[in-house]
Amino acid sequence: MDQPANSSTSNTGAPPEVSPAAAWLDTGSDHALREMHAYMRLTREWDLRYEKMFKTGALSKWYSSVGNEAATVAAASAIEKGDALVSLHRDAGAILRHYVDIESLIPEIFPSNMNLIRQPLGGDSRERLFRLACQMLGRQHGYSAGHERSYHYNHMEPEHGLIHIGMISHLGSMIPVAAGAALSFQQQKSDRVAINFIGEGATSTGDFHEGLNIASVWKLPFILIIENNHWAFSTPTSQQYACDNLASRAIGYGMPGVEVDGNDPIAMHQVMQEAVQRARSGEGPTLVEAHVGRHRGHSEGDDSLDQVPGDELKGYLENDPMDLIETRLVNGGIVSRAWLEEIREKCAALIMEVVDEAMSMPEPEPNSDRSIHAE
Amino acid sequence: MPNEMTIEENVLYIEALSHALRDEMRHDPSVMLMGQDIAGHGGAFKITKGFLDEFGPQRVRNTPIAESGTIGIATGAAILGQRPVIEMQFADFISCGFNQLVNVAAKMYWRTECAVPLVIRMPGGGGMGAGAFHSQNVESWFLHSPGLKVVAPAFSDDAYRLLRSAIKDPNPVIYFEHKFLYRRERTDLKGTEIKDRVVGEANVRRSGKDLTSISWGWMTHRVLEAAEIMAAEGVEIEVIDLPVLSPLDLDPILQSIEKTEHVAITHEATRTCGFGAELAARISDEAIWNLDGPVTRITYPDSPSPFNKKLEADRIPSVDVICDGWRQALQS
Ligand SMILES: Cc1ncc(C[n+]2csc(CCOP(=O)(O)OP(=O)(O)O)c2C)c(N)n1
Ligand SMILES: [Mg+2]
Repeated sequence: MDQPANSSTSNTGAPPEVSPAAAWLDTGSDHALREMHAYMRLTREWDLRYEKMFKTGALSKWYSSVGNEAATVAAASAIEKGDALVSLHRDAGAILRHYVDIESLIPEIFPSNMNLIRQPLGGDSRERLFRLACQMLGRQHGYSAGHERSYHYNHMEPEHGLIHIGMISHLGSMIPVAAGAALSFQQQKSDRVAINFIGEGATSTGDFHEGLNIASVWKLPFILIIENNHWAFSTPTSQQYACDNLASRAIGYGMPGVEVDGNDPIAMHQVMQEAVQRARSGEGPTLVEAHVGRHRGHSEGDDSLDQVPGDELKGYLENDPMDLIETRLVNGGIVSRAWLEEIREKCAALIMEVVDEAMSMPEPEPNSDRSIHAE
Repeated sequence: MPNEMTIEENVLYIEALSHALRDEMRHDPSVMLMGQDIAGHGGAFKITKGFLDEFGPQRVRNTPIAESGTIGIATGAAILGQRPVIEMQFADFISCGFNQLVNVAAKMYWRTECAVPLVIRMPGGGGMGAGAFHSQNVESWFLHSPGLKVVAPAFSDDAYRLLRSAIKDPNPVIYFEHKFLYRRERTDLKGTEIKDRVVGEANVRRSGKDLTSISWGWMTHRVLEAAEIMAAEGVEIEVIDLPVLSPLDLDPILQSIEKTEHVAITHEATRTCGFGAELAARISDEAIWNLDGPVTRITYPDSPSPFNKKLEADRIPSVDVICDGWRQALQS
């Protein structure tokens, strides 16, 4: 066989070690719920702010991630320093979870004995959030200095182990690229992993097939998360694929495929933790299909939501992951409604402040000679 | 790691490629090879024969038949510090990976300031009766995509030097190697300095005062033959070879035209929007007042490659066709 042996440093044949967090997460402990909630709320307020700006004309285009927060926040809760995040257009939750230490921005949001699911990366969360807002608004201080829109950028902070590769528009294209990030870890004999998101619509592209197939043949430390909101622009899944679910496609690639309720961050996190463990220990990639709801049209201001039958839409809105986790927190006697409202206000105020600041920042100077080549 | 250079006499083009890959892999452990049948088998043309044994399966990887997936994976790995070199089994198959190349890899630096040190080796060109899908010269597709560098050496020494430079370069480089030259062209590898970037090069391979000829790859060899014939007729052709098409080094071309006042571009690629058209436009921009006649293009017609060798030969600029083209250019 010419194929490389798996290159994990920790593949001793022993069962993978389960991190201490996983045990208490099983129950959806108070702390786990609070941590998930905080980042989900930050993400929701982030989106609501831009949706509003779109309506007032301050923004030319917006793809909302409302409804995807549980899946994306939970997924990024399973990665660490040095892992690669490769995101798409509805993954603000993963980006914010990965970039930001919310405790440093909203003091006392968590109790002092909080048992954190994941450690923040370190570095300046406020600055990252500010630059992210600048990026959304095409400002000079954005991660692409105004050259690329919204989430189409890369951001690397080697000193903090932050590796974030953003999307290009062409759907499916980033799957092989993300698998390539995983390949670089395998080459370096490191136990880091790459996670990547994709809408269910883009699972019909050739790159989905080519990327997953090579990732599995080479046992790359790679996790592909399908955010299945059951619609691609205006096209329902019945017109996209004829199989029962997408997770089972993994069988054809010889990798595990897991279907999970993407509105439940605890369930999602468990699935992700298992997949990450598997990848770290050299066992190869996992395909995760997270079912989420379609809460908004394809992009703000279009009428594509009209295609979603009323009952179906009602079901999605009734299962808003934000409402579900808040009900869980209140019914479990973990926090009060008043506390949740306080957090919401603090998140909204923080986002407002950061976005306003970004709005006041300069636009880039004309530079048609921006270099196309690295020096 | 050693940065040794192969110095050898009379080296086949195809061996120069193997030497360059091997020397660069010995020098830099982040260089890795990917391609179809390149590992145990050594590739369709045996350029990587023995590499698996020397460098191991981690660095010499057979890929499934998945050009898009392979280029995408190489791009991701390149962003994070690897230096992948992909062998297209035939240059023609790059079309299946087109989007990854022109949209992901080519635009990456401009969009994100993340470098993509990636080389795609492209065994291309015709002359062997290989038909419409194993004969093409597709350099124009990539010259039209900002962010890529394009190399097309005609001689073994350039092939060696430039492949090593391409691997060291922090940008995606499309490296055209001509199949017809693989086992026909031989030059000495003299240990010429190897740059750590691909930069524009326009090399005068023969000097002359009457007409400037521009060509690359296989055609440069035909042009040199044709120049001999013209010399016997008392016409001195200045032969400029472009081992690097992008970035383009235009100055030597303009200087030559100032002297000769006539220019002809010969390429094996099809005519419309071939690189000759761009060269003609650039020359018009910069040197039209120095010209004593129109810019002449001697090219393949706008046609796919036929399988029958006679039909194919009829389309590839021959030595005679090149001489005729020059004679006409000099008459006008
Ligand atoms: C290759 C490609 N074709 C078409 C489009 C246009 N397009 C943008 S988003 C979209 C729908 C995507 O649906 P899905 O993958 O399910 O993601 P969702 O927006 O539902 O999260 C389409 C067709 C594109 N971006 N890329
Ligand atoms: Mg969808």
